Amino acid sequence: MKRPSGQRQPGFLERARSFELRGWGAAGRARNVPYLLLGIALILFPILDSDSSQVNVAADAGHWILLALGLNIVVGYAGLLDLGYAAFFAIGSYAFAILASGQFHIHISFWILLPVSAFIAALFGVLLGAPTLRLRGDYLAIVTLGFGEIVPRVFRNATPITGGVNGIVGIDQPRLPPILGWDGKFGFNPVPYYYLILAILILSIFLINNLRNSRLGRAWMAIREDEVAASATGINTVTTKLLAFALGASFSGFAGTYYASKLFLVVPESFSFQAVSVVVLVMVVLGGMGNMRGVIVGAILIYTIQTYLLIQLPGWIDSATAALNIDWLTKLDLGHYAQQSNYLIFGLILVGIMLLRPQGLIPSAQRKVELELGTSEDSLAELQGQV
Amino acid sequence: MPILEVKGLTKRFGGLLAVNNVDLSVEAGEIFAMIGPNGAGKTTLFNLVAGLYKPTSGQIFFNGRSVYPVREFWRTYSPPIAAYYTVADAVRRGVGLGPLPLGLKPHAVTTLGVARTFQNIRLFSYMTAVENVMVGEHPRMHAQVWDALLNTPFARNEERRVRDRAMELMRFVGLERYADQYARNLAYGFQRRLEIARALATEPKLLMLDEPAAGFNPQEKAELMQLIQAIRSRGITVFLIEHDMKVVMEVSERIVVLDYGEKIAEGPPQKVRTNPRVIEAYLGKSA
Repeated sequence: MKRPSGQRQPGFLERARSFELRGWGAAGRARNVPYLLLGIALILFPILDSDSSQVNVAADAGHWILLALGLNIVVGYAGLLDLGYAAFFAIGSYAFAILASGQFHIHISFWILLPVSAFIAALFGVLLGAPTLRLRGDYLAIVTLGFGEIVPRVFRNATPITGGVNGIVGIDQPRLPPILGWDGKFGFNPVPYYYLILAILILSIFLINNLRNSRLGRAWMAIREDEVAASATGINTVTTKLLAFALGASFSGFAGTYYASKLFLVVPESFSFQAVSVVVLVMVVLGGMGNMRGVIVGAILIYTIQTYLLIQLPGWIDSATAALNIDWLTKLDLGHYAQQSNYLIFGLILVGIMLLRPQGLIPSAQRKVELELGTSEDSLAELQGQV
Repeated sequence: MPILEVKGLTKRFGGLLAVNNVDLSVEAGEIFAMIGPNGAGKTTLFNLVAGLYKPTSGQIFFNGRSVYPVREFWRTYSPPIAAYYTVADAVRRGVGLGPLPLGLKPHAVTTLGVARTFQNIRLFSYMTAVENVMVGEHPRMHAQVWDALLNTPFARNEERRVRDRAMELMRFVGLERYADQYARNLAYGFQRRLEIARALATEPKLLMLDEPAAGFNPQEKAELMQLIQAIRSRGITVFLIEHDMKVVMEVSERIVVLDYGEKIAEGPPQKVRTNPRVIEAYLGKSA
C-alpha cells in the first residue's frame, strides 16, 4: 500500500479520509508509519532469524492471537461472557484433522478446509448460542463452560471417529505450488507457517475491523450496553447474538485448522478449559476488552509469559544463585521451587497486571475518550481509524 | 382511524393486577397523554404495547390491524414457530377463545412503526451520541453480514447515508454539537433528547414517551413541549406518560387517566381536570 499520488485533486483527499475511517488506507497518515514499519519487520523477521527457532515460537503465538481476536468479538463487542471458547477451537481442529489425514483416508486440501472448518465452527457457534440466548452474564458463562467441557470429552470418547485419547496423528500439511526454489511443501519448516498465520491474521484483522465499524458491530455494542433498549430500537437480539457466536467461533475454526496442520496431530487434552478457554479469556480481558490492538498485545504477552518466562525462570534463578555463590542460598534450590510453582507465578503475574491496569493494557477507545473527554470530530475519526 | 387501539388489555403479575381491562385509542396525528398516580400501571401499559411484556389478555391494534397479525409472525419468527403460532391462533379463534394473546417481540413492534423512550433513560452509554441514533436506523438498513465483513461499497454508502440522517436528527433535537460525545457524558436533559432522537431514527408513526419531562426545570420543560409539537408536525403521533400537569395540560389534546390499573377517565384536558374521580385518585377522598 503506497501513498496515493493524486492527492491534490479535490475530492480525492476526502475519499482517502473516508477510507481511513474504515482502516483501508493504512499508509495514508503519518501516524500509521509505525504500523508500516512493524509490518516490514514482521515480513523480514524469518530472514534475520537464522535457525528459525524464534520464527517457530512466533508461528505458534499466531494462533493464540487469532483465538483472542475471535473471542473478543463475543466478549468484547457483544458482551457475552463465553467460557467455552476452546470448544470451537477443538471443533475447528478436529474438522480439519478428520477431513485431511489418514484417519478415514480423506485428504482434502488445506486451502479448501480452511474456510470449511471455519464454517463448521460457526455452525456449532450457532448451536451453542441458540439455547443460551435468554441467559446473561454469570449464567451464560456457566452454560458455555459446560459446552467447553463437553466437546473435548466427546472427542475423547468417540474413538472410532476421533481416535480417542490418542487423537489423530499424521495430519496433512498445506501445499503450495513451487515458487522461487521452494518446493511448496510446509513440512516441519516453521517459516512457511509463519507467513501463513501472518496472512491469516492480517485478513482476520481486516475483517474484524470492518465488522466492528459496521451495522452489525453497532448492534453488538448496543446489545452489550443495554439489551432492552437495543431490542426496543429495532435490533433483533436473537439473530444478532447468534451472529456474534457464529463469527467469533469461525475465527477459532481458522485457528484450529492452522494449529492441527502445524502440529501434525490433535489430542483432546490440548483443548481443556485451563489450557485454552481461560488463557484466551485472560488474553482478551488483560489486553483490553473490545480493543483489537489491546487484545493482540495481551495475547502476545500471555503467550510469552507462558512459554518463555515461566520455562526460563527456574534456569535464571539457578544461574543467579550460582553467580552469587552464597552457600545457604544455593542449598535452598529456589529454581526447583520456581519450577514447581509455575502456575502460582503465572497467577501472581496476572494479579499484578490487573492491579496495575484494571482497564486492560490498551483499553478500548471508548474508555480512553471517557478519560480524555475528547470532543472534536477529528478525535473521533482518529479513534475510529485505529484498529 | 385510530393509530393505536387497545381493547380489554389486562396484565397480571402473580397476584397483582397491573393493568385491568383497559380500552383506549390514540388517533393518528394527535398528542395523547396518559396520567395517573404512581403504580397506576402506565409504564406497564407502555411495555405491553411495545412488546416488552405479553398481555395476560386483550388485544392491541396498530393502524387498525392487530399487533399480532399472521403476516408479522412469518416475517419475524422462524418458519416452524410461525407455523405453530398461525395454527394455534386459528384453532383458538375457531373454538371462540379469541386470537392468541401473544405479543410480537419488541424489535418487531418497532419495525411496525412504534418507537419509545424509557422512564429511566436507557442509552448505550459507551457509544457516541450519533452512534446511538444510528442504532435506531438499524432495522431499516440492508447491509448483510458479508457487506459488513468486506466493507463493500454498498455498506459504505449505506453507512454514510445513515450517519447523515442521524446527524439531521441530532440537529432536530438540538444536539448536533454533542454528536461525538459518549452518551453517558451528556447532561441529563440532553440524554433525554438523545433518547427521543434515537426513537425518531426508527421512523415511527407512533412515538411513545415515558415521562419525558421528569427532572426538568421550567425552561427545559418549555423546550420539551416545543420539541413534542415539532415531532407532531412531522406527522408523528405522540403518546406520552407525564406527571407534570402543566406539561400535560398544555401539550396534549386528549388525556386518559389510569388508577390501580383501571381507566378512570378519558377526554380533553379541561374535562379531565374537573373529573371528580381524577381528583379523588390524586388527592384522596374528602372526608
